[in-house]
Formats: sequence, C-alpha cells, structure tokens
Amino acid sequence: MRKFGIFLALALVLITLTSGCAKGTTVTNDFIDGESGGDAETLNWILAADATSFSYAGHTVDSLATYDNQLNIQLRCLAKDIEVSPDGLVYTVTIRDDLKWSDGSPVTAEDYVYTLKNLMFSDWLNYPYKSYWQEEVDGKTVLVAPQVVNDTTFTITRQTVYPEFVYRIYDLIPYPKYIAVKYEGNVEAFTQAPEFNNLTYTGNLGPYRFKEWSRNDRFVVERNPDYYLGKDVGAPYFQQYIVKLFSTSATRQAALEAGDITSTSIEPAEVNRFKSMPNIKVFTIPTTGYTLLAYNQRANGWEGLKDKTVRQALSMAINKQTISQAILLGFAEPAYSFIPATSPWYTDEGLAKYGVAPLYDKQKAAELLYQEGYGIKDSNGTIKVTDKKGTPLHLILAVNTGSKPAEDMAFSIRKDLLQLGIETEIKLVPWATLLRQYMMNTVPDSKQEPGDNNGPEAVSQESWDFILLGFSTDLLAPSGSSVFFTTKGGLNFFGYSNPQVDELFNRIKSKEALDKTARQQIYAEMSRVLSEEQPIDFLIFHRANVGFQKNVMGIEPGISMGYNYYMWYFEPVK
Amino acid sequence: MGKSWLRDYIVKRLIYSIIIAWGILTITFILVRVGPSSPADKYLANITARGGDPAQVTAAIEARYGLDKPIYVQYFNYLGNLFRGNWGWSFGTSMPVIELIKAHWIYSFQLILLSSLFAAILGMLIGIYSAVKQYTKTDYALTFLSFIGISIPNFWLGIMLILVFSVKFGLFKTYYDTTLPLFSLDNLKALVLPVITLGTGMLAGYVRYTRSAMLDNLRKAFVTTARAKGLPERTVIGKHVFRNALLPLVTIIMFDLGSIVFGGAYLTEIIFGIPGLGQISFNAIFANDYPVVIAVTLIGTFMVLLVNLATDISYTYLDPRIRYG
Repeated sequence: MRKFGIFLALALVLITLTSGCAKGTTVTNDFIDGESGGDAETLNWILAADATSFSYAGHTVDSLATYDNQLNIQLRCLAKDIEVSPDGLVYTVTIRDDLKWSDGSPVTAEDYVYTLKNLMFSDWLNYPYKSYWQEEVDGKTVLVAPQVVNDTTFTITRQTVYPEFVYRIYDLIPYPKYIAVKYEGNVEAFTQAPEFNNLTYTGNLGPYRFKEWSRNDRFVVERNPDYYLGKDVGAPYFQQYIVKLFSTSATRQAALEAGDITSTSIEPAEVNRFKSMPNIKVFTIPTTGYTLLAYNQRANGWEGLKDKTVRQALSMAINKQTISQAILLGFAEPAYSFIPATSPWYTDEGLAKYGVAPLYDKQKAAELLYQEGYGIKDSNGTIKVTDKKGTPLHLILAVNTGSKPAEDMAFSIRKDLLQLGIETEIKLVPWATLLRQYMMNTVPDSKQEPGDNNGPEAVSQESWDFILLGFSTDLLAPSGSSVFFTTKGGLNFFGYSNPQVDELFNRIKSKEALDKTARQQIYAEMSRVLSEEQPIDFLIFHRANVGFQKNVMGIEPGISMGYNYYMWYFEPVK
Repeated sequence: MGKSWLRDYIVKRLIYSIIIAWGILTITFILVRVGPSSPADKYLANITARGGDPAQVTAAIEARYGLDKPIYVQYFNYLGNLFRGNWGWSFGTSMPVIELIKAHWIYSFQLILLSSLFAAILGMLIGIYSAVKQYTKTDYALTFLSFIGISIPNFWLGIMLILVFSVKFGLFKTYYDTTLPLFSLDNLKALVLPVITLGTGMLAGYVRYTRSAMLDNLRKAFVTTARAKGLPERTVIGKHVFRNALLPLVTIIMFDLGSIVFGGAYLTEIIFGIPGLGQISFNAIFANDYPVVIAVTLIGTFMVLLVNLATDISYTYLDPRIRYG
C-alpha cells in the first residue's frame, strides 16, 4: 500500500510539473469571447430564427450599415447613405464597387435584389422575418418592390410611408446568386447546401473568414486579409476570433479570471471583484433590454387588471429601486416606458414614473384599489385589498426558470403585493411552457392554432395574472414595439387594447413622421400614454458588464460597443 | 469447441439486442412526433409576432425537414436511410447526424473510460486496504472520506476544482480544450479535473462495495483453509478473497458504465465545456431535434445492451461454474 501511496504522490507531482503556468496567459494572437447563451442553429442565416446564428455569420459578412455608440450610422457595404425620395416611398441603395465573392466575382445589386425577391420573399423558403418587408395596402398584405438600377445600385419601393423602414435595409446581407440558383425551389437542398453551411462564399465581405464550428463548443473565424475595409484601417489584428461556449456563468467568469479567455460578460454580483483584478477591465454599458411585469387583461386574468386605475395602483406598490439597487446591485435603472433614455426618441417630460417616489406609495395604492371597489377597511381605517366580494385576492405570477435575478424580482414583487394584502403565487416554469401554455392563446372551443395574440376573446391554456419577462426596444426604430402594445400586435399576449395607442403607432408609419420633430412628438406622446396606462409595469432597463483582459485595446465602451471590434488589438508587450 | 455454447449465447443475445433496439427506436420515433412540441416552436414567437400565420409557419418549417409526410412514410424512410448509413439531418445543429456523432462521441468516450478506470482501480485498491485494515483509524478515515465522496454533487466539486486548481494555482485550463491532440499528454492533463469530478462519486461507491464484498469473503471457510495451508497473506487476499469479491463488483461497475453513458456524464461535460454526447443529446431534446434524439437513444441502447452482454460474458471467466444455456 505504501508503494501505491508513493505512486499516487509521484503522479500528482508529474501532473503538476507538466501543467506549466497557465494562469494569466493570453499570449496568442487569438481573441476568445466567452459566451453562455447557447449555440447557433445554422450558418445558413436566412433560415435562422435565433440571434446567435446571425452573430456567427456576421463575422464573415457585413451588413449594409451599422451604428456607433452615438447612434451615428456607419457605412459598411454601402458606398453612400441610403437616399429616400421626398415622398418617403423609394429607397435608393448604392453599394461599394469593391465587394467580392470567394470566386472573385463582384457582389452586385443583382445579388441583393435576388436575395430579397427569390429567397426572402419566396414561399418555398419561408424566411422567418419576411414580414419586415411587407406592408398593408388597402387591407391586403403586399411585399415591397426591389429593382436593380445598375451593378451597384438598386431601389426598394414601398406603397405606404414608413420612415423607419430604412433601418431594415441597413441590416441587409446578400446571398450569392451564382450559388443560390442551384438550390432555388428545393428547400431541403438549400437547407443542407455546403456552401451556405460552411460560409465558403463570403469573399472579402467580412473582417474574418469561417474556419471551424464545433457544435456546443466553439465557433472559429480567422483574419481576412482581403477585408474590403482593410484598405482604410488594415485587416483585423487578431489571427482568430473564437466564440467559446460555456454552460454556466461561474465557469465562464473563472475562465476570464484565469486568463483562458479574452472577454466575457460579468454577473452584477461579481463586478466589484473583477474590477479589483489587475489583469481585468470591466465596462458597464447600457442595453436595450428591459424587464417588465405583464398584466393579464384577457378573460382568464383577474378582472381588476382590465381597470387602468388598478394597474396604476399595483405599479405604484412595486418598488423599482429595490429591484435596480438590491437585486441588480445598481446595474439597472427604473423604466417608465418602452423607450430607453439612450434612444434619440426618448423624452422624459410627462412620463408617469410609477414605482419610484412619489409614485411609489403603498398607502396611496391601497386607497386607489379601495376606491375601485377592491378592498375592505377595518375600524382603524387600514385597507386590505380584496376582490369585489371582499374575499382575499390570490393571484398567479409566472416566471421563466433559470434566471436567479428574475426569480429574485418575482419574490420582491410578491413581497410588495403582500403588503397590500394580495397573496401572489409564483409559478416557475420552463420557457417552452411559459410560451405555449401561458403566453400563446386561442379562442375557446375554436380550431385556432395557438398564437401570441389571437384576438380579444382568446385566452391561454393556463390562467395567470402576471408574467415577468424581458422585452427589448430598437433604439433607432422603436415603432417595432407596436407588436407588444397595439390591439392587433403579434406579441400582445396580455390583451391590452387602447385605440389612442394604436393610432399613435399608425402615425409613426405615416407621411407626418417623415419630419423628425413630428416623430419625436409622437413618440413623446406614446411614451406618456403608455406610462400612464400601465398596460405592463415597465420595471427596469438593464446595464451590462463586460470584462476584458487588460491588454485589449481599441474598445469604445457604449451601447454599440462591438461596432468597431475588427479594429481591437492587444497592447504590444513592452 | 469447448465454449461453443458461449458463441451461440452471444449470437442469440446480439439478435435479441437488435430486436430490442429496433423496438426502442420505433417507440422513440413515435413518441417524439406525437408530443406537443415541434421544431417549428422556436420560429413561432418571432414569426407570429410579425403577423405570420402559426399554422402556415409550422407547415413550412416541417416541410423544410421532411416532417410534413405521414408518420409511417417518415418511419420507413428513416429505417431505409438508417440501413444505408444515413442518420438524417440535425435541425438544431445544421449538419448530418452521423457527422455530429462522429465529431463528438470521442469526448464522452474518453471521459467515461478514464473516469471508470480511475474510479474502479483506485476504488478497489482502497476498498481492499480498508477491508484488510478493518476497524483501524485508516479504515475509519477512508470510510469517512468515501461517504463524503458519495455525497458531493458533481457540479459543486467540478466548480471547486476549477476555482482552486485552475484559477487559484493556474495548474490547469479552466475548460476542456478541444484543439488538443487526442493522444497527447496535454489532452490527458486537460482531462484530470473532469475525470476526478466524474470519478469521485463512483470511486467512493467502489470503495464501499469492495470493502463490503471483501469482508464477506474474508469470513468464509476457504480463507481459513488457505491461511491454514500456509499461503502468504498477499496470495490469500489477492488470489482467493478478491477474485471471489470481484463478481458483484463487476456487476456494479458495468451498471455504472451504462448509467453514465445515458447522461451521467452530462453535468461534468457542462462544467468543463466538453462537447460530448451528453450535451448534444440534452440540447437536441430541447430543440426538438428528432434525428439526433433518436440517434443518441439508439446509441445509448446499444451501449447498455453491449455492456450487459459483456458483464454476462465476464462472469463465465470470473467464475467458470457459470454457464448460459
């Protein structure tokens, strides 16, 4: 047994000696980005429904334009900014003349128009975001009309005005017509096409070229020396850009701390510890995501939630400071409408700031509920919130499992409502269940397929009163949020309906809104009405924390931090 | 010729295995398709939010993956393709299933193999020592430690090992690096922490089982006889007692092997970022990636059936009295 002990000790020494010194060594020229949001579905991005697929493909193919931290448009494949006709109906797009596919042939306007007409608009391919390119004309849904003008110019013509449509065009990425025609009409062959699944066509269109994708492990792209922007700023510094996947934030953060990866996001509770590390720098940046509490105004929710005053009272009782400061440790700010302060369309004036003093007031909340008939008063004048028959209220709050901050927020809300006398049952459910059984709805006894908004009569399979979840807002084109707040909005699962709000969203898609001052006023009015109406309780806008090894240079912290990531580099060793 | 009964037995068991695997394949094939979820689910929220018709979306996505045909047509197509070596196209990872399995099985295999060897060898050695030194301080200490080993959750142990040996002392990388050559010292080093994480619970169990089995046999008459014949203690323990204790241990080790093949290694893969079959199958279930779900179920079934067969065969060598009809 002694021999065995000696053998064990020797083995440990050997392992230790051969281990080398791994700590803090980012000595290669590779940038390793640690992520834990799950892997992409496909590199054949036109088929994808997830953001990760677009993000992977986006390393190898640029869109027409992006925006910087000040939200200024930065041209990418565009030779000049998109020209919009005075009537707001014709968009003229001029691309650069030095864009090449991998076979050396030029990328032309024909490729863009082909991608739109023959792929995105086709019936056989079922592009998930086709509706971005549709408009309502005389009660019919029609597609916009792209047309080639010459090799580098094409137009897109609409029949109705939508000033924010230009941002859809900025995101456009082409497929090579010379390859795609081989698969046209055959969805199975297109889905499995090796050129699209291995991104072999991307030529000089992106800062990196595809190298390897090991599923559930890593996605690797390598420096593209021919990158079309390289003529101005040089090819990217990093030899490889690697997205390394982790399943837990603990291991992802440990990898950054040990120097095994270059960058990753940091959980709020860990920010101070990482900030104190000599080899790490942490940037705190605003995001477009917000957490909200949806009030079920459909038939299977508590009837009180259809009453604006009741919703206001509940929002008045839920403390947003507790959520932003105690749960998210200051890495969040209270939200009052769907437009964040970082958007050029944000207006503070006139917003009803529920959940923050003076509109955080439990006594006032109880009085409002009592006035509406939801409460009883004892001999001391203390109000206990009840239903209209005087029986205690028992409401259901559903929340997705797997997020500790979300669960903490749910319990904080439960505590706040309990002080009014409302008992809240928290149901922690997996995302698929939340989506299918709580959010999707159908008209009872109909043969409808479940959808997120099947009309005012539709109800979900499970009854609920509150759902805690996250939405996000497009900073430059907030009108995309009409899907949540308009009567027919596709994601209005909570059943909110207000003709005034519908009208305001319609005005954003009108000639009037071509004038930016007028659009600003419409957004200000929309934010004011929604903050007053409380169709949902807008809880907080999140701030993200991103940690980097200290030797990464060229980063511009801000809401669009990665817009110039191809110019980042490692500080030369002195 | 002496063991022709064994050959017949193996052939018979293999035929049974194929029938059982076919049955499980058929049941899995039907179950995944009659369930309430669909590969189109992930598209629904996005598309219907923008005014798309859910039924139309579901139909189009199902057509993309050939799920629009009647289920019996899909089934016979699948079986036909399977016989031709085509396991289908993975919806969730966008690659042929066979390529996916080929790229990832090795990560699970090396982890399971090394963990089992680590746990079995070390567990049996410590168990023997503990039995021979029954009721000594060392025995009590080893018993105490083995109970701790059984009780520690994999995910906690893995994260602690990373924090101490990778972050604090910098001895190992914080995650498993798939770029390392398979047969290299670096790869072996990268597997040290995952093997300890997965193997510790098994090791502690084997210590307890070995100790118990050894003690059972140490009290038997043939041990007294062997000692009375003047055989050295090492021979008595190693050749007589341990060999007899081995039979139940083989059953337990093989059973464990079957269990970890069916997902026991998943948590360790998660913690160390090992892209093995555990992770692949778990993600496939949540993505409704039917071809992958069926493939990993089939592989798991075959592994368990083969492990059971290997266990039965090993009995005949460990105890020549055992014969199968």
